[in-house]
Order: sequence, then C-alpha cells, then structure tokens
Amino acid sequence: MIEAELVEKRIARDYGFFRFKLHEELEKPDAGQFVMLKALDEPILAKPFSIYSYKNKKLTLFIKRVGRLTGKVFSSPIGEVFYIRGPYGVPYIEKINKEKKYILIGGGSGIAPLNFFSELYPELVYKKLYGFREKYIRELFEKEEQSNLVIEEESGKTVVDLLVNVYSEEFGILACGPTPMLKNLPSGSYVSLEAVMGCGIGTCKSCAIKTKEGIKMVCKDGPLFKKEEVQWEWI
Amino acid sequence: MGVDLSVKRLGIKFKNPLILASGPAGFGFELQQYLDISKVGAITLKTITLNPREGNAPPRLIDTHGGIINSIGLQNPGIKEFLDTIAPRLKEIKTIKIGSIAGFSIEEWNILGEEMDKIKEIKAIELDLSCPNVKGKKIWAKDEKLTQEAIKAVRKSTNKPIIAKLAPDVTDIVKIAKEAVEAGADALSIGNTIEAMRINIETGLPVLKLKTGGLSGPAIKPITLARVFKVTGALDVPVIGIGGIMTWEDALEYAMAGASLIGIATALMINPQSPLEILEGIESFLRQKRIERFEEIIGISHRSGF
Repeated sequence: MIEAELVEKRIARDYGFFRFKLHEELEKPDAGQFVMLKALDEPILAKPFSIYSYKNKKLTLFIKRVGRLTGKVFSSPIGEVFYIRGPYGVPYIEKINKEKKYILIGGGSGIAPLNFFSELYPELVYKKLYGFREKYIRELFEKEEQSNLVIEEESGKTVVDLLVNVYSEEFGILACGPTPMLKNLPSGSYVSLEAVMGCGIGTCKSCAIKTKEGIKMVCKDGPLFKKEEVQWEWI
Repeated sequence: MGVDLSVKRLGIKFKNPLILASGPAGFGFELQQYLDISKVGAITLKTITLNPREGNAPPRLIDTHGGIINSIGLQNPGIKEFLDTIAPRLKEIKTIKIGSIAGFSIEEWNILGEEMDKIKEIKAIELDLSCPNVKGKKIWAKDEKLTQEAIKAVRKSTNKPIIAKLAPDVTDIVKIAKEAVEAGADALSIGNTIEAMRINIETGLPVLKLKTGGLSGPAIKPITLARVFKVTGALDVPVIGIGGIMTWEDALEYAMAGASLIGIATALMINPQSPLEILEGIESFLRQKRIERFEEIIGISHRSGF
C-alpha cells in the first residue's frame, strides 16, 4: 500500500477536507474512481473514498465523520500516516454519454467524485447542485463554490426539489449521494453508489447490488450505474 | 544459502506454505492484476455450490475491533457455469489450485465431488463444511455424523485429495477431526469464521442484513491457533491453519502449532500484497535462526521448541 501523510485538514463539525501527500503517484486517477484508505492499526478494514481532487501525489478527500476510520482521520494530527491503494472503479467518463452536458447532483460527501469530474471535464458540466442539510457547511467552501450549495436549513428545499427548475431532457444527470436522493431522480440519470467494501477490486463480493443483469459489484462494475439498472429494493 | 520454503503434503509439492484461502481471492482472475499469484503456494478457489447463488442482500460486511464480520453467503455461479466458463481458464492461474465445494445434501456433495474430479487443473478438493452464512443451511462441521456423511459422499466420487474445512466454534474439535479423517479426509482446514454480529444502536437492528455473520481477522487468531495445536497434537494429518493471519509472525505461530500449510483470507482482502510480505518475513526469520527448511519448524511447539 502507498504511504499517505496527512498534510492539511479543514473541518466543520461532521464534514472535512483532508489532503494527503502520497509517497508514490497514483496511476492515472479519473473522476468517479476511489481509493481504499486504511489506518496503521485499528480499524483493520480499509474503506473506500471517492477522489475529490488529485494532482502530483497530493490527494484530497472530502469526508463525513460516520465511523471509526473517519473518526480517526478527523482526530489525527497533521503528519499522521495512513495507507492507500487504488484508484479503483470504472471512471465515470467511460460509462456516460459524452454527447451531453451534465447536471451534477451531489448529496453530502457524495459531492466528492462530482468535484473531480468538474475539474477534469468542465466542458461536460452544465450545472452543479450540491445538497447539504445545515448551513455551517458554507464555511468549508470557497466563494465561487457557494452558489452551487443547496442548503435545506436555509431554503427548505433539497437538490431534488431544485432539479425541476433546471432539468430538461437535453441534459444528463450525474449523481452521487444518499440512496433516498438517488431513488428520486428522473430515469436516465447516472447514479454513483456507495457500499461497504472489503477489497475494492471485485474479489471479496462484499459490495453486491442487484441489477437487471444480475448481481454486480459496486467496486468493480461501478460505482456508476444507470438508475433503471438498479433494483433498489435490494439495497 | 537460500531457505527452502517448500512443503510436500497430499502428494503435492507446494513451493511455499502460503495458501490463498477460499473466499476473498475469488477464482484468482481479478486478483492477479494486483498480486503475482505464482509466488504463493496455492489458491483455494471460491466455494462452488450445485446451483448458482446470488449471496445475501447487503450489507454483507462490517468491521469490528480486531476483525471483520462477513455474511457474503456463498455467492457463486454454480457448478455448471464453473465447469463451462471458469475451469477452462484455470491454467491462467500459475499456482496449485484447490477446488472448494459446498453441498446442501448428501446427494449434492456427491455430484459436486464428481464434477470437480473432472477438472485436471484442480489438484485437491476442499469441502466447505463450515460456512456460517447461509440462511437455513445446516453447518455440517458442527455435527460429527453430518461431517462424516458429507466426506464419505465426496470420497466415493473422487480420488483427488480431500480437505475437510472444519468450524473452529465446536465443543470438541479433536473428536470431529478424527471422524473426518476416518471418513476419508486426507487433510483438514482449521478453521473458518466464527458466528458473530453487530447491532446498530441508532436503529436497534442488526447491522448485517442476514443478522449474523462470521468473524475473521486478528480477533480469532488465538482461538483457531489453539484448535490447530490440539488437532495436530492428537492426529497425524496435514492441517491447513486459517484464522486471523495478518503478519509473518502469525503465520509462524500457526506453523509451530502444527499447521503445515497456512491460509490467508482477511489479510488478502485488506491488502492484496500481504501474502508476499508474509512470505518475506517467514524467509528472513528462518534465515536469522539458521533454519534451512520451513518443514523443520512445523509442529515444533509439540516437540521441544528451539
């Protein structure tokens, strides 16, 4: 695994940006791909994190504090060493229709891969809608990103509510976020799924989803799927 | 001088004692992009059942202190698909291949044994008698009589070496091990995951969709190690030690306790390179101790130690 030293962190309550300096270059990371991040000792299991940004051995992750590993990342001092392998998963660009422009719909930490997508393929982005519940999140984002934030606490509206105003069939939808949000998107949307993973490379069969073509693994076959492919009741 | 890591058991020469245990290595095809499988002694393929199985609904995996709990549920394409599409490609995997089967009835064990017997690339057959993750399925290895019946059914169908994969969480593993050998097992894998669960205190519900799963990882190592020690002390049968081996030190403990071969699963899932790190560690330990052959340390804890 590649040594990843925590070199910068910006935290607002349960969300944070974490920048790691890697000892080796990742091999051609693309938007939608993820890395498996592991602590030195506990917890022993590596967990998947979508790439928020990557350049010259500097990897940025956007993380929500949910469990033991993310808790450790939040509380670690600068200089703490973690371990990383990847990138894994099929890049979004290999799955989507490149003739269209996309509305990027993010929910919570699901904005991470969408940000990397908009950095790498700005010409394919029509609009960004990044949804969060509470307004404290604004302090984490730069000025130019503020207008993309949809804060339920401020407007009483979610990204799915706002989508109605901007959506027409000429645009595609590329979404990553909580399952209830993804389920409420129009058919034809591309949805990027989250799952508990063991290996990240398709061998351990932990991150199974059911699709029209049978069982697929989120890590190797995804994380991006067409919304109608997925049998949501199984998730 | 180099250290000889090879192990001869079951009429097979393993280039070293490390086996990728059944489960997270799959059939090896995906894994070999991330690990040079030719460097390990053998791979035990993912367990095959008579009919295809989707496996359990997610979540199938959760971490816990010192380990992970899984309930994959034997997701596999079934024996027919295995014979048609996977078996013909097995020569791409450049190490010893051990097949793994799980029957739901005596008849199924027999059929699965017959079908596996046809595959030339497969040098031995492991009977998964102990997977805890199939709803409504009995755990054969928790009952001596069932263990014997399953082994006898496979014994009738093949001349390949048979390895019985036993459950560590039984009252008297030595007794079950003896019955397994009497029924025709040529070797034993000890053990498997141990039934376990976690509850989400926010929802008040089990985390895993199956409710319970099997615990693996460092937490179970001392438990399984004791079983390997007991069985190898009582019986003269090759044992593959499997349970929480994360480091070369863990692997050496198992070898000294009596395991002639060492299975790795959870460590492989966490880091596909870990088998190579473990092998390097074993080799340099032996070199430092001026031991020329790995075979010399197998079961040394039953003798006088160093």
